[in-house]
Amino acid sequence: MLLDYDRMGWLRVVLLGFTGLVAAFLLLPVVFIVLLSFGSSRWLAFPPPGWTLKWYEELLADPAWLDAALTSMRIAAMAAVLAVAIGLFASFALVRGEFRGRDVLRGLLLTPMILPVVVFAVAIYAFFLRLGLGGTTIGFVIAHTVLALPFAIIPIATALEGFDKTIEDAAIVCGASPLEAKLRVTLPSIKIGIFSAAIFAFLASWDEVVVAIFMASPTLQTLPVKIWGSLRQDLSPVIAAASSLLVLLTLFLMIVTAFIRRRFSK
Amino acid sequence: MSVDARQSFATLRMPSGFGGLLPALVLITLFFLVPVVALLLRSVTEPEPGLQNYAALFGDGTYARVFFNTFLVASVVTAVTVVVAFPVAWMLAIMPPVLGSIVFGVIILSMWTNLLTRTYAWMVLLQRTGVINRTLIGLGVVDEPLPLINNLTGVTIGMVYIMLPFMILPLVGTLRAIDPMTLRAAALCGASPIAAFRRILLPLSLPGIAAGGLMVFVMSLGYFVTPALLGGTSNMMLAEMIAQMIQSLLNWGLGSAAAFILLAVTMALYALQLRLVGAKRLAGGV
Repeated sequence: MLLDYDRMGWLRVVLLGFTGLVAAFLLLPVVFIVLLSFGSSRWLAFPPPGWTLKWYEELLADPAWLDAALTSMRIAAMAAVLAVAIGLFASFALVRGEFRGRDVLRGLLLTPMILPVVVFAVAIYAFFLRLGLGGTTIGFVIAHTVLALPFAIIPIATALEGFDKTIEDAAIVCGASPLEAKLRVTLPSIKIGIFSAAIFAFLASWDEVVVAIFMASPTLQTLPVKIWGSLRQDLSPVIAAASSLLVLLTLFLMIVTAFIRRRFSK
Repeated sequence: MSVDARQSFATLRMPSGFGGLLPALVLITLFFLVPVVALLLRSVTEPEPGLQNYAALFGDGTYARVFFNTFLVASVVTAVTVVVAFPVAWMLAIMPPVLGSIVFGVIILSMWTNLLTRTYAWMVLLQRTGVINRTLIGLGVVDEPLPLINNLTGVTIGMVYIMLPFMILPLVGTLRAIDPMTLRAAALCGASPIAAFRRILLPLSLPGIAAGGLMVFVMSLGYFVTPALLGGTSNMMLAEMIAQMIQSLLNWGLGSAAAFILLAVTMALYALQLRLVGAKRLAGGV
């Protein structure tokens, strides 16, 4: 009866209690940081002696933070678009293509997700030093596209595997050109996969720290690099304010995702 | 054009064949394979051709300690994560959907929140004057603050926090795939809950535990951010050492040799995981 929710008796109470504790543990840092960002103590005393918005004022008054956020946004958007475009073509080939070594190639394209990112960071850093691409936007975008590609391929390929190809063939039989059939029948059917790919690819770049630390220059910093630099100096509450805005962004992305999934799946 | 001709035309022209892979392959070859191989070559060519970098890494007690720390933390993190994740995944697999979606929401929120944000929160929570120490002292559990940060304890807490979702989510899938009838049958045949757990539920979920555990272990081995921020300078881990050798010490030979060791261990464990779960399921299940 261990898998019957209604017939587990006292065991259910124990396991549910434990699950609640773990959920609280997972929620703790996120809630804590948001509360702290409104606390008036510079030394992050908790519970705070009073409430204030001054850390947000300080954050918004410092152009370096806004700059870093915009840089991150720009790089992540470009990397996501590239990764989804390249990933879309690759997924069609991986799912429908019939050629030798397909599984090996699939493994190769997913390797950037598995390889410890520090190894890639050091390697691309050395490589770009030689090419003169270190500390440039284009260098950032290339490196982040490599890292984002697996996150784009997996959802698209999964969606494509679940799509019945005979529907596309039917469109062609009914007179659509192959390209038309793909654009008007297949792509709309796998749009949830493409949408997830875009979100994951964006987050893969937006949250990326290690490559960014190596690639950054004094004039080109992404948001994680800026936070990293501040963290190494002190634990200022301004970081809590910046972090809270990032939590807000995460919540926003979660809501959008849930909303779109619900709409698309109807 | 006949339908047949059209169909074969469709398969020929559209990116259904090998052609669609070309952009991805160019990108990965040029900006992933080439740089990584070039880096690894430096480990046997700098400062002069030979294996002296590897000899130095394996011959020195300081480096041995870093390897030991790395494997120790990765093992402890994996063990704790498995034990904590299992009951949660178990409940998530059979919970009523409304309750389940709340717990899933919390897991996704934690997982999607910026890594540095989460690490920053733990830095504040775990510091000497942090909430956790103050609460423990307030409750009279300890007399003076516990050293929870700048050591392997802090790293372990922070890493377990980050790895839990990666263990819980795949395990839910494994547990959902188990037929509740098998456990009902066990109960009918007189098996105690403990026996049913030990002889049916646990063995049936073992593939999921092994796959998730290996993934957490591999990720922990190469983790950089959390050890760098929550760990101390005297308790360095491998990824941090590689970054330091290259960024501050500019010792490319030694740094790339250490990178190669990390890469080799990771790839070997990954190959083992492919054996266990199969490439397709692994790629589709992430």
